[in-house]
Amino acid sequence: MAIEGIGAASAITPPAIPGTQAAQPAAGSGFDMWLQAQLNTVNDQIMTGESNVRKLATGEEGNLHEVMISLEKAKLSFELILAVRNKSLEAYQEMMRMQI
Amino acid sequence: MDYFSAMDISASGMTTQRFRLDTVALNMANASTTRSINGGPYRRQQVILGERAMQPTFNQMLAREQGLRYAGVEVVQIQEDDSPPRLVLEPGHPDADARGFVRYPNINPVGEMVILLEAVRLYEANVRALNAGKEMALRALQI
Repeated sequence: MAIEGIGAASAITPPAIPGTQAAQPAAGSGFDMWLQAQLNTVNDQIMTGESNVRKLATGEEGNLHEVMISLEKAKLSFELILAVRNKSLEAYQEMMRMQI
Repeated sequence: MDYFSAMDISASGMTTQRFRLDTVALNMANASTTRSINGGPYRRQQVILGERAMQPTFNQMLAREQGLRYAGVEVVQIQEDDSPPRLVLEPGHPDADARGFVRYPNINPVGEMVILLEAVRLYEANVRALNAGKEMALRALQI
């Protein structure tokens, strides 16, 4: 039993590293992908707002409030991505301050 | 995103109220028009509003199944007021009939002003609702 226990302990440690190695790129790519997708969405919304402003200036778009709302949507999405960025940066700095 | 649905609803409200304002402006401008495109005096236009039907997209169908309503409002149709025209005695007028009466549009400027004020106030209310939704989203981001 004791030998098996040691064997089990040694068996647990090696998979633990490949496990984290396997999980790390997956989790990293997951958050990366999410962040990238969100950034793209925010960028698209800002671009839409900008093109709407251009359309309003050239008289193509008649609705002032539609333009303002698209700008507000872009602003809110940007605020959200900024909040996410601040949170993750805060967590990172908290980790860096940790005494080892 | 979910909190954008409130914005879309308010936007549809603003669009319809703006349309009502346009119609009132048209009615006021044509308050003494005796020759309309269809012949005869101009007839008062009224806007009929209706709840906007859901778009057949997956998200909206899912929202409808969940009991959420985020379609908003839209202009269903523009109807002409069928009330009789106002008869004014102006024998020298080119559009006067044999008895000297001119048929003027059936527009009551006071009633039009009331609709105008209502449209402006409702537009403001929609802006208020939109701002409230925006404030809520911004407060949530401060957590």
